[in-house]
Amino acid sequence: MLAVDAKKVVKKYSNGVIALDGLDLEVKRGEIFSLLGPNGAGKSSLINILTTFYKPTSGRVSILGRDLCAEPGFVRSHIACVAQNVSIDNHLSLIENMIFQSRLYKVDTQTASQRIKSLIESFELEQYMKYPVASYSGGIKRRLDIAMNMVSHPDILFLDEPTVGMDVESRKSMWNMLFKIKKEYGTTILLTTHYIEEADQLSDTVCIMKKGRVLVQGTAEELRKFTRQNLIRVIFSKPDEAKKYAAEFEKMNFVNFCDRNRNTVTITTNDAGRDFKSINRHLLTGNAEFDSLEIVNPSLEDIFMSHMNCGKDMKGKSIC
Amino acid sequence: MLNILWRNMKWRYQNPLTVIFTILQPLIWLLLYSTVAGQALNGMGYGNYMAFVLPGIMILVTFSACGSGGFINFIMKSNGSFYRILIAPLSRYSIVFGQILESVILSMIEASILFLIGIFFSVTVASGFAGILLMIPLIFLTAFSMSGLSYALSLLLPNMMIYETIMNAVVLPVFFLSSALFPVDNLSGVLKTVILLNPFTHVINMLRELIFNQDVNLTGVFGVILLLSLLGTVCFFFAVHRLKMLTVQ
Repeated sequence: MLAVDAKKVVKKYSNGVIALDGLDLEVKRGEIFSLLGPNGAGKSSLINILTTFYKPTSGRVSILGRDLCAEPGFVRSHIACVAQNVSIDNHLSLIENMIFQSRLYKVDTQTASQRIKSLIESFELEQYMKYPVASYSGGIKRRLDIAMNMVSHPDILFLDEPTVGMDVESRKSMWNMLFKIKKEYGTTILLTTHYIEEADQLSDTVCIMKKGRVLVQGTAEELRKFTRQNLIRVIFSKPDEAKKYAAEFEKMNFVNFCDRNRNTVTITTNDAGRDFKSINRHLLTGNAEFDSLEIVNPSLEDIFMSHMNCGKDMKGKSIC
Repeated sequence: MLNILWRNMKWRYQNPLTVIFTILQPLIWLLLYSTVAGQALNGMGYGNYMAFVLPGIMILVTFSACGSGGFINFIMKSNGSFYRILIAPLSRYSIVFGQILESVILSMIEASILFLIGIFFSVTVASGFAGILLMIPLIFLTAFSMSGLSYALSLLLPNMMIYETIMNAVVLPVFFLSSALFPVDNLSGVLKTVILLNPFTHVINMLRELIFNQDVNLTGVFGVILLLSLLGTVCFFFAVHRLKMLTVQ
């Protein structure tokens, strides 16, 4: 059974903005699933729908095999969500926040007490218990927010940009925490992020979204395979030379996409092995000044950028 | 429901200024206005003017306390805890009930304080202990209605400034277009009709009867209780409806 199964989900706001445009999504149980995309891709709208906060305009969403619109009560009792804004109450103490959350999810007092104790240890929050919550740093508040949302032992934990605004150290600590949640509690984690490195490091499955649609979905390794051998990188001696040849490459009929960054030109084709020779021939014929020409194993960032600039969704529909 | 009530009461306990400011204006009305107006109206047959205005001021303090409940909701909406409650497996009725009950309790406490101050300034309740007991459901149901309306408006309106403007536009006319400060028997025409259509005129009149009359008009009291129950039910379901509109049902 899938943790999340969304079919043809559309979300159209009253101002006419279409945040989700026939989105299909499948999340397996027990995995860490990352939604990657730029601002306006529809990530937060999707999270708000999956957590029963927004109603989808059309389409069907199942959570743990149950229809979200027909059984929101069941869905709510099996999920928790760490929202973009930290949702702890500053007027309650650390313990009171956790007790409040446990009562919201009707966890009995004894079980709640054991879980709270265990979560405080797991998330290393003991040292902060004596201080008022309002005095906590953003990172500690976020840690408490996640610990609090784990009190009900949700089957699915949604996190909307959990590491936004965090320094590198806090972000790494957050990643460890998410791995711990997956390992110790078997929780399915669905998170949204802007950070490609985060999606790469954390996820079992990465889903790249743009304009309310899924562009591509798979494991980070699968996504690399998806374009493996299809990227050719040329490093020119001068930026002017790179600019000139980038314009020429774009006119070649086998080039899908050409990206230039200072001296470096990255070309996406359908068959890098075959097209490497044509590129090489073109450079040599033109006496181009270049330092290297290579077929590269794309990073997740390359995949993300190639899809962001011009991509097709999973149904083959072009989104540019 | 009790969980949300507990959380809101904790907030109120840590923000005592909100209690002070909600009772301050009614207290000034009670102490200063009744003294000044009482002297001006001396000899016109009102007797103890503080006793005359006390019911209206008790209703005014419930408006003030219940209005502040809407402000709490705006504060909760601005941080993430509102979202956390909405996606929790709770009945929407429990959420609304928990939210508005805090304002109702505050209203009861503040109305009691004003009542005790009135007693201190020689206001007596002619109907005795039974009359005091009958005042409790009248104040409770008034607060329940106003609190439900305030909560619904805080869900309906986009921000706190507009909410404050609307609440002022509702509360002050409702207060002045009632029998809170003067008897309406000698009035006539449209003004009297408007005042009689105001449900709080009847609540104030009934509280006043309990203060001035020895005999309790039970039919009148239960009529007003019925009126307030209807009003409270409408406001409560309006608030639940607004909350349900925000999320999947």
